Amino acid sequence: MANLWNLIIVDPMLNGLIALSSLLPKAVEFGLAIIILTIVVRLILTPLTLRQLKSTKAMQSMQPKIQELQKKYAKNKQKLQQEMMKVYKEAGVNPIGCIWPMLVQLPVWIALYQSIMRALATTPENLLDLSRHLYFWQIVNQALPLNSHFLWLDLGQPDHYLILPILVGVSMWVQQKMTTAPSADPRQQSMSSMMTLMMPFMFGMLCMMFPSGLALFWLVSTVIGIATQYFIGGGWGYLRSSTARQSMPRQRDKW
Amino acid sequence: MRIKILIFLGIFCFLALSAGGCIGGQQKPLGFSGVISYDGILYLGSTDGKIVAVNPSARNQEMSFPSSDGEWSFAITMPSKGISCGPSSVPVSIYGTPTVVGESVCIGTYNGKVLMMSPSARSQNLPFPQTRSGEWVYPRTEDVIEPIVGSPVAADDTVYVCSSDGRVYALDMTYGDEKWKSDPLGDKLWITPVLKEETVYVSTFDGHIYALSAKDGSLLPWAFEAEAGFASSPVLHENVIFVGSFDRNLYAVRVGDNEPLWKFPGDNWFWATTVAKDGVVYAGCLDGKVYAIDSKTGNELWEFDAGSPIVSSPALTDDLLVVACDSGEVYALDIFNGKLINEVSIDAPIQGSLCIQEGIVYIRAQDNCLYAMDVGKGKTNWRFPLTIK
Repeated sequence: MANLWNLIIVDPMLNGLIALSSLLPKAVEFGLAIIILTIVVRLILTPLTLRQLKSTKAMQSMQPKIQELQKKYAKNKQKLQQEMMKVYKEAGVNPIGCIWPMLVQLPVWIALYQSIMRALATTPENLLDLSRHLYFWQIVNQALPLNSHFLWLDLGQPDHYLILPILVGVSMWVQQKMTTAPSADPRQQSMSSMMTLMMPFMFGMLCMMFPSGLALFWLVSTVIGIATQYFIGGGWGYLRSSTARQSMPRQRDKW
Repeated sequence: MRIKILIFLGIFCFLALSAGGCIGGQQKPLGFSGVISYDGILYLGSTDGKIVAVNPSARNQEMSFPSSDGEWSFAITMPSKGISCGPSSVPVSIYGTPTVVGESVCIGTYNGKVLMMSPSARSQNLPFPQTRSGEWVYPRTEDVIEPIVGSPVAADDTVYVCSSDGRVYALDMTYGDEKWKSDPLGDKLWITPVLKEETVYVSTFDGHIYALSAKDGSLLPWAFEAEAGFASSPVLHENVIFVGSFDRNLYAVRVGDNEPLWKFPGDNWFWATTVAKDGVVYAGCLDGKVYAIDSKTGNELWEFDAGSPIVSSPALTDDLLVVACDSGEVYALDIFNGKLINEVSIDAPIQGSLCIQEGIVYIRAQDNCLYAMDVGKGKTNWRFPLTIK
């Protein structure tokens, strides 16, 4: 199973990444290759992303109705579920419709993550392991070992200046904020608020342990996600409404 | 919302496990130190960061370790990094084979330290370093240099060692003082340097062979540049350097020439350090084959298919070539025609260099055990687990 996974998904991606590196200027080869490949993969997955966004948007447009139901049936969870399903059915929306495109994309992201980690080959064992996954292409073999330096980063090591972990954390927070709808249910609201803070924090922490090549991939991927959300999803989404909500009491104070 | 949370938590757990090296991604550096024999004692590094001195006759008699016959073990640790709920210090990784310098044992570690150990002080388990016994550590302070993968080389009163910072370090053999360090020579130097007369030769990941003055580390006028990086340590034989490249060729470069004498193609990298004898180069390749090549012409004399990548350097006796591969097979081949004489198998990958002493092959396998094999008879004499408390 693992062999099949490598053969069909990881190895082509890995060899593509190395071949791409060899075409780029030596000083920035691998860093730039990570950025380009992340963009390419994002582009390939655009139909799925659009589907996910469409589904999310449909769910968001139904939020006022859902919130109304949540208020109405706050004490009867079973009834609430039934009513919510009815609303979804009437609108022709599948509540988990925004999840499955995400699930389909997941293996691709995991493969890209594994390719980057494998190509970085930070230890002798990793380098030996890399030799087992390379194609016969001259362009691949002549590119090795890759130059792991990119800007101030050694892509095989965590970013000691903590710039990338902070950028990853902030960009993830922005993305989370843009997509997380407010809920009328206080419990659910506190849960989603916690998630909005915890996820970026956790990923920021992980970036302090992982090679910065991977943090770079997360950063690029998140920034593209934000851009897609902004241009296709229509602006800053819930990020704007939440900042507006936060600033409202202050404005009132001034008045 | 709950499904979303579960998916995020799933991703987080996957990444956290990967960070620990549990799945996919990066493998933890275990090290693949080889074995060296000196004065009847075997010296090697274990996968749990120990330098171990083993007396083969004591192991033959199954005596308890350490016996009084020159056996000892010394654990090298370093402070644990990052967020950890484990112990404050962790074992270092050791890739190089120890080098015996006079009466002492020298090793470079993956956490960037060079250690000189006195067998007498280590067998008494005295605190390290015992300067009176000639023990030292470089750098002396808490500082470290970049990871060391190759073995140290000693000559006259100097120890030479290569580091991942791309530099060659020359250290005083007696006190461990730094005599000189070279300018960075490109990318990482995961190799054992070659020393001949007053010159140190190194091959680099960015495809250069440099010659440095052994006196002050300055670059000598001659350097060789290849199209791809070099994967293996260089070997010097009859003024020709043999070194494996990432472009899947074994290069033969005459010192002073700008063009290779010849290139021999394999189906993967020549990672293992080659051995050369009587005008023949024996090269193990990650394509699972061992090749015997005419050192002058680059013509193949014979090849043997071991069926699994060859990571460890082969070893030679008068008429046998012993090759070990990653699947745990050890082959004894006729040096003249590559015919299989005998084979022994163990249940663990073999990546460290082999050592042959009086017809017995000593191998430290990746299961952290030392094996003594009589390849002539095709049997394992003893197996000694290196997980010593």
